[in-house]
Amino acid sequence: MGGVIHKRNKPLQVNPFKLSQPMGATLAFLGVDGCMPLMHGGQGCTSFTKVFFTRHFCEPIAIQTSAVTDAIAVLDGGDYSIVESVRNITKKVTPSLIGLHTTGLPETKGDDIRGVAAQIDYPLVYVNTPDYEGGFESGWALTCKALIEQLVEPAKGVDDNKLVLLPHVSLTPIEVEKIKEFIEGFGFIVLALPDLSTSLDGHLGDKQAALSSGGIAVEDIGRLGDAGLVVSVGDSMQDCGAALLEKNPEMRHHHFPHLQGLEATDALAKLLLAETGFNGPPLDVARWRKRLQDAMLDSHFSLGQSRFLVAAEPDQLAGLCQSLHDAGGRVTAAISTTDSPQLVKVKADKVLVGDLEDAEQLADDYDLIVGNCHCEALAHRLHKGLVLRGFPNWEQVGNALKNDVLYEGGCYFLFEAANTATVTRDMRRGARTL
Amino acid sequence: MAIKPKIKELLDESSCAHNQVRKVACNAPTPGATTGGCAFEGAQISLFPYADAAHLVHGPITCLGSSWETRATGTSYPGRDLTRMGFTTDININDVVFSGEEKLAAAVDYIMAHYAPEAVFVYATCVTAMIGDDIDLLCKQATERHGVPVMPVHAPGFVGSKNLGSRLAGEAVLMHLIGTKEPEETMAFDINLIGEYNVTGDMWQYTPLLEELGIRVLSTLSGDGRIAQIRTAHRAKLNVLVCAKSLVSLTRKMQERYGIPSISLSFYGKRETSTGLLAIAAALGDQDLMERTRLLVAREEAKLTEKLQPYRCFFKGKKAVLNTGGNKTWSIAAALQDLGIDVVATAVKKATEDDREKARQALGENGVLMMNPGSEQAKIIEETGADLLLAGGRSLYTAIKKGIAFADVNQEKKKSYGGYDGLLNLAEDLKSTLQNPVFKNVARRAPWEE
Repeated sequence: MGGVIHKRNKPLQVNPFKLSQPMGATLAFLGVDGCMPLMHGGQGCTSFTKVFFTRHFCEPIAIQTSAVTDAIAVLDGGDYSIVESVRNITKKVTPSLIGLHTTGLPETKGDDIRGVAAQIDYPLVYVNTPDYEGGFESGWALTCKALIEQLVEPAKGVDDNKLVLLPHVSLTPIEVEKIKEFIEGFGFIVLALPDLSTSLDGHLGDKQAALSSGGIAVEDIGRLGDAGLVVSVGDSMQDCGAALLEKNPEMRHHHFPHLQGLEATDALAKLLLAETGFNGPPLDVARWRKRLQDAMLDSHFSLGQSRFLVAAEPDQLAGLCQSLHDAGGRVTAAISTTDSPQLVKVKADKVLVGDLEDAEQLADDYDLIVGNCHCEALAHRLHKGLVLRGFPNWEQVGNALKNDVLYEGGCYFLFEAANTATVTRDMRRGARTL
Repeated sequence: MAIKPKIKELLDESSCAHNQVRKVACNAPTPGATTGGCAFEGAQISLFPYADAAHLVHGPITCLGSSWETRATGTSYPGRDLTRMGFTTDININDVVFSGEEKLAAAVDYIMAHYAPEAVFVYATCVTAMIGDDIDLLCKQATERHGVPVMPVHAPGFVGSKNLGSRLAGEAVLMHLIGTKEPEETMAFDINLIGEYNVTGDMWQYTPLLEELGIRVLSTLSGDGRIAQIRTAHRAKLNVLVCAKSLVSLTRKMQERYGIPSISLSFYGKRETSTGLLAIAAALGDQDLMERTRLLVAREEAKLTEKLQPYRCFFKGKKAVLNTGGNKTWSIAAALQDLGIDVVATAVKKATEDDREKARQALGENGVLMMNPGSEQAKIIEETGADLLLAGGRSLYTAIKKGIAFADVNQEKKKSYGGYDGLLNLAEDLKSTLQNPVFKNVARRAPWEE
C-alpha cells in the first residue's frame, strides 16, 4: 500500500486524539477483579482519567491518586506519597490488588517506584508509564506485562486445554467476550489478561463497588503459567506473550495483528483446528462465516463508492482498515496516534502518525470518518459521515457492546459503515439538489 | 519569578468568608483519598470559553488529551471556534531532558500562522514547571513577535486544587489583559460577568433580560467571551461574580485597582434569578433602572408561573430527596420547590456552615438535613414515601432498590437550568424522569431469583 509517515515535523498536536500511557495503564488494571488502580502523580491526571472513562463507559470508575503536590514533588521520592496512599486506600476498602502506575511528574524527578513497592506489605503491581512516552496502547501493554512479570508463578508442564488471551487496549468488553467464546467453542478454557468483558461490560450489580467489579482474578493471573497456548491480539501485545513464555518456555505463543475480517478470523480458526485436531468448527462459527461473506457482498456496493479516513490506535487501525478494504471500502488516509510496527501493514493509501488537524487538511480525500467523538466537530463542519470508534465516545451510549471482531462482529461493522456511507451520500445529494 | 502570582497570597483571600475561621492546611490533598481536579483544570475551565483565543497546553498528552471538548460552553463567536480545538506541545522524553522551550516557541508561531487568534494562553503543567522551561520569557518574546497577547498561565496541576487554578487564571487575565485596551464607548450600565462560563448556554438565559434593561455586558470571564472585550474590563461600573467564589481575588483586586465594586450572585432558580437581577440594578444605583427591573422581574415571574402551572399540577404532592454537596444542597432544593416539589431531605455532609444554614431555611423545620446521606437516604425514602432521588451516580442502586425515580445531579447537563426559562427545562427533565417506568422495570427480579 502507500507510504507511512512515522515522524511528524509539527511542533505541537492540534486536536489530538492520542491518549496517554497512564490512562492505558488504568484501564488495564480495571480488567483485574477487585483492583484499585493507583495513579502516582498530581491529582488532576487521576481526576481527568476518572471522568474520561466514566463518560465513555457510563460506569463508575475505581481509581485513586497519590496526589503529589509541588512541595511533595521536591521532598519525596515517592516513599511518602505511595506508602501513604496504600495506607489510606486500605483503610476504606480491601482491594485484591493495588495497581500502581506513574505519570510524567514522578518520572521526571525519577521516583524509584520499584524500591517503594518493595517496602509495601500489600499485594501491589507497579509499572512505569510516563505520559511523555508511548501512548494509550503501550500503557495498557506495559501494565499487562508488569502483571505477568510480577504475578505469574513460574511453571513446568502445560495444560493443553488452557489458553491465555492477551487482547489489545482497543478491544471492547464484548469483543473480548466474543473472542473468548469463539475459542471456548473449540473446547478450551480461556483466560483473558486483562479482562474487561466482566468488569466494564456495563452490568447492573447489586451495589456499586468501590473497586473494579469484575475482570480476571488475581489468583488466576498467578496460575497462568501452565497454559498450553498463548494468543496475543494486536502488535502492542506481542511482548506480553514473550513475557509469559519467560515463566514457562513450554507454552506456545501465537500472535495475531488483529481479528477483524474474514482472513484474520480464518487464521484464528485454522490455528484452533490444528491445535485441537477437530475436522470442523462449531456450527455457529461456520454459520457466522457464511453470514460475513454475505455481509461483505451486501455492503460492497455502498462501501465501494466510499472513501474513508480512519483515525485510531495502531492495533485497531489495522483491523478497521482491513475490514473496510476487504469489502471494497477505500481508505485514503489512516491516521495513527503513535508509531507501531503495525503501520506498515495497514491497508490504506496513506498512513501517518498524526492528529485531527492532519485529518482536516486531508478533507478532500474522503467522504466518511471512522474515529472517536473528537471527530464529530470535523465531520459536522465538513459534511462527512461518521462511524464512531475508539476512545473517547461521549456522544453515544453502549460503547462496551460494540462488536467489530471475528466473523460475527465483522458483519455488524460492515453494515454500520455501509449504511452510514449511504446516508452520507443521500444527505450530500440532497444538499446539492436543494 | 516576580511576575508569577503568589500562591500563598491567593490561598489567603481576605474576601473569602471562610477565611475568618482559621483552618489547617486546607490545600494539601491526602494521598490515596483525594477526588477532584487540579489547578491546571481549574485554570483551563476559567479561560477556555474565550473562543477567539488559542489555548496551548505545554505538557505531556494527559493534560489536554483527556480534557479538551469536555465542556459544553456555548459561544456566539462567528469565526473559527477555538473552544472546540485542542493545542498541546505533547512533550516527549527529549523535551524533558533538553527542555521544551524551542518546541513551545515554534508551537506558538505555528498557531499564529495557521489560526491567527486574538491571544494565546500558554498553560504550564507539572512536568514543564518541574523541568523549568522559562514560559514567561518565551511568552514575552512571542508577544513582541506577533503583536497579540501571548500569556503564561502558571497553574501546573501540582500546586493545588481546581479552585486555586481558577484563581491563578484570574491572575493571568488581570496581569496581562485587563486594562490593556480602551472600549470604543462606555455606557452608564456597563458590567463584567465574572465566573460565568456559559455552560450549556446558561448566561443566554438571562443576558437578553439585561439587554432589555439597558445593562451592557462589557466583558466576561469568560462565557461567550472575547479577548478584545476583557481587555477593556477596567471601564465597567460593576463586577458581577456569578456562582464562582474562586474569582473573588480578581474582583477584589479590580476594586482596589480600578475602583469597580462587585456583587456575588447566582441565576439558578426563579428566586435567585429575581434577586440577582434586582441586586445588579441596586448596585448600579439608578432609581429608574431599579424601577424598570422590578417591573421586568414581576413580568417574568408571572410569565414563568403561567408556564409552570401544568408542571406544578404534575409535581403536586411529589416528594424528593436530595443528596449532593456545596451550594447545591440548598440551591437545587430551592429550584425544586419553585416547581412545587416537596424536598423532604437534603445532604449537608459536604457543605459549609453557611450552606447548612441556607439549607435549613429552604427546607424548613421538618426537612431532614442528612449528615450521613449514604446510610440515611434509603430509610428516609421509605419513611417519607419519596418519589424521586436526586444524587450522584453511586446512589442509583438505592433508588432502584426502592423502586423510585432517579436523577443524576452530577451528570453533564445537556441543556441549561439557569435563569427563568432554565427552570422549564428542569421541570421538563424531572417530569420525564418521574414518568419513566424504567426504574421500576429494571428492578424486576429475574425468574431464577423469584
